[in-house]
Amino acid sequence: MTEAAPEQKAEETVTVTVDGENVSCPPGIPLIEAIRMMERDVSAFCYHPGLKIVAVCRQCLVSIEGSPKLVPACQAVVKDGMVVHTLDENSMDARRQMLEFTLVNHPIDCPICDKAGECTLQSLYFDNNNKPSRVDVPKVKKKKAVDLGPHIVLDQERCILCTRCIRVCDEVAEEHQLEMANRGDHEELDVAPGAQLDNPYSLNTVDVCPVGALTAKDFRFTLRAWELMTTPSVCQGCSTGCNIEVHHRDERAWRIVPRHNPSVNGHWMCDEGRFTYHGLREKRLAGPLLDGMPASWDSSTKKASELLGAILNASRQELGVVLSTQHTNEDNYVLAKLAKELWQLENIYVSGTPSVPDRADGKLMMADVNPNTKGVTEIIGNGAKDLKELSADLEQGKLKGLLVLGHELPTTDEAAQALGKLEALIVVTNKEDGVAKHADVTLPAAAWAEVDGTITNHDGLVQRLYQAYPSMGQAIPAWEGICRLALASDAALSFDDAKSVYNEMKNKVEGFKDSEWGKPVLPVQLRFANSRG
Amino acid sequence: MADLRTVVLGRKDVQDLDRDDELPNELMTINMGPSHPAMHGTIRMVLTVDGETVVNTDIQPGYLHRCFEKESEHATYTQIFPYTDRLNYISPMINNVGYAMAVEKLMGITGDIPKRAEYIRVIVSEISRITDHLTCVGASAMELGGFTPFLYFLKAREWFFEILEELSGARLTYSYVRIGGVVKDLTDDFADKTEAIFQKLEKIMVEVETMLNKNRIFYGRMDKVGGYSPEKAVAMGLSGPCLRACGVDYDLRKDVPYSIYNELDFDVPTGTTGDCLDRYLIRLEEIRQSMRMVRQCFKQIPDGSHIIDDPRVAMPGKKEAYNTIEAMIRHFKHVVDGIKVPPGEAYTAVEGGNGELGFFIVSNGTGQPWKVYCRAPSFVNLQTVPDLIIGGLISDIVPIFGMINMIGGECDK
Repeated sequence: MTEAAPEQKAEETVTVTVDGENVSCPPGIPLIEAIRMMERDVSAFCYHPGLKIVAVCRQCLVSIEGSPKLVPACQAVVKDGMVVHTLDENSMDARRQMLEFTLVNHPIDCPICDKAGECTLQSLYFDNNNKPSRVDVPKVKKKKAVDLGPHIVLDQERCILCTRCIRVCDEVAEEHQLEMANRGDHEELDVAPGAQLDNPYSLNTVDVCPVGALTAKDFRFTLRAWELMTTPSVCQGCSTGCNIEVHHRDERAWRIVPRHNPSVNGHWMCDEGRFTYHGLREKRLAGPLLDGMPASWDSSTKKASELLGAILNASRQELGVVLSTQHTNEDNYVLAKLAKELWQLENIYVSGTPSVPDRADGKLMMADVNPNTKGVTEIIGNGAKDLKELSADLEQGKLKGLLVLGHELPTTDEAAQALGKLEALIVVTNKEDGVAKHADVTLPAAAWAEVDGTITNHDGLVQRLYQAYPSMGQAIPAWEGICRLALASDAALSFDDAKSVYNEMKNKVEGFKDSEWGKPVLPVQLRFANSRG
Repeated sequence: MADLRTVVLGRKDVQDLDRDDELPNELMTINMGPSHPAMHGTIRMVLTVDGETVVNTDIQPGYLHRCFEKESEHATYTQIFPYTDRLNYISPMINNVGYAMAVEKLMGITGDIPKRAEYIRVIVSEISRITDHLTCVGASAMELGGFTPFLYFLKAREWFFEILEELSGARLTYSYVRIGGVVKDLTDDFADKTEAIFQKLEKIMVEVETMLNKNRIFYGRMDKVGGYSPEKAVAMGLSGPCLRACGVDYDLRKDVPYSIYNELDFDVPTGTTGDCLDRYLIRLEEIRQSMRMVRQCFKQIPDGSHIIDDPRVAMPGKKEAYNTIEAMIRHFKHVVDGIKVPPGEAYTAVEGGNGELGFFIVSNGTGQPWKVYCRAPSFVNLQTVPDLIIGGLISDIVPIFGMINMIGGECDK
């Protein structure tokens, strides 16, 4: 209080007694964190570990011995020898009464509220108070379905005035777009007249909202939250690699929410990344195509191997392979191994979406919108050529055949024309778009939510993707498709699963030495995952 | 596998006969069940017979396995009630009560259940016991050739099903009991209607007893068939009417009184030899005792609530749920997440139609049980069947198995 604590050493701890139990914790943390370290929960609405502490909801009141009044556990800082009671009559009563106040003007919206099932207010009320209503005055009416901006709708009646959303805008997006208006039971959340909630991190307000006041237009009224399954994954929107949870059901993803990882994204992610799940269903390639017509895996790999084999036998230097920064390390490693070790090709290119310099904001959004640029660079080393060189080689007619991973192959117009004239253009991709439109043979690959694998973010951190649901149609993981193609061409390339690809890669590629494949994770029903609300 | 003939008969083949004049004794393996008109449920018995004599048996239950215990781990505590209905489906109310009591014990609210709810539970349990015994006795009589008692008793059973349907909304799978009480109060004329049925039943029982008790065939096939000693019965874990028929005076309602049974005046009939006749007579007497208990209950039942007044346990009424946010949240959480039961484990047992029906529940503090185990009396009683039928005639299997009264749904869980 009087002196700011000097920088504490890591091993220094303080001991706090909570309800007769001792807990050792680092000094300087909020008391509520110490209580949560004991796997006890003291209820709270406005406290969020990633935001500044304001203690407005008064929901975490506890008794501290020596303190005359109840103290909010979020604002109290742990001190050595502190004796705290969370279950005594006083603090229990205070918390129950706060809940009763909070519910006085809360609308009876659970059946139509998107937050129902992952709502903090519901859980706290059911766990703490659970007494019938004593209120006989009409509820204060406020505005419902207020359009706050491009992505978010506000229901002012549901808002419990915790100000988490205001702080997210202020601290994460660093744009002050939300504000409390009016006073007393007419206090309400709003944007300034004419303004909009349109910052690039606005959907984090929906995540932190403990009730259903802020809802995402993207997810509103699609599914009930408790029916979703959740699988951990990594965002494919850019090279930051924000940790996410994919919420899915019926073999499709319904939304993406950030997963806490202090070394990458903290608690947050950008709005753009949240919409990447739409790509899992748009223009998907569900089966192999032979000259644009549906075909079987057998006939299409046979045709592809014939086309490639003709070039390999005649003029090996005229065959090129394109790796993709949009695909996992495993996919790229298998293709690179086929090209370098088995076929011994010279022309290896790396493709990807062109970078967007305006996008970089110094927070979570990067200019490089390919999730795995670093990983591909580590796998292929310096031997790869970029897209400019590919365009040049195509324009000059240096290539007769091309085996492409991923549909993104932005080239010059002339090069694109040359692509259509190639003797062999084989594409392994999950979309019937881009270069796949010109291909002689297109092999369907599973999309990122459908595979196990790893990607490497711009810092060189290897992060794991988990399969959330089975792949669409006849699609299989790209590395497996490449193996099938290789076997059809009599190249001995075969792996049991993505993990065995990873293990080989870990031994051979420098950048994967310190990484881990991780334990298996199965989808969990959201209501049992304890990751929300 | 060791040759069965050597094991059982002490000789390997027809050639090894001690005396040449004895008829050749070839053992035969036959299937009885799973679908057999005289089998008292869907169960398969592989019998090894020496002529008409049963020398060995392999009893194979499991045809009605519904994964009751495993399914319960994926349901909220309230959602398990319909599963318990399907255990002993002749007396589902008792299953409901037994399961509810286990959860209540785990939550420590056993003493807080309103008296009226306890009385209602006993009333419906005893009516269920009557339907259970009526079915057992009626079906066994039919299996021995007496079709009239079957029709009389099944008709009477239907009257009870009808009043319970009036009460709960379902003819057989009631799901009427809830944690903390029962789902709704007794209907206004429930007592009158039940009394009217009791009076009709008393007349029918006299008729049936006249038809069966001195019946040469029935008596002959029941008396001294399937006798069992009390020591063995206790050692095998036999319970219920079959145990009491052996002369062991053990009834959970009397010896470990739960609910309000200690406020009721009733007798526990016991037998002497434990044979099928004893089991049959005890069941008839228990029907009379159950009627006696229900009549007392109607006299003593207090006014009050039919379910506990604890918002954590009881669902709010529809009126509150639709009009206050507090009850709405409660309703929502009860349905989606389930009643929160503190971590721990508990076992409770009730006197079911066939014996000690027990539920063992382990909770991890969430709205769903971590583990539910059901001590199904039918399953435990079934293990005495080989003892009872080996050495007897094939025709004896029918009364013995009928009086053990294995209920497939309960035995196979």
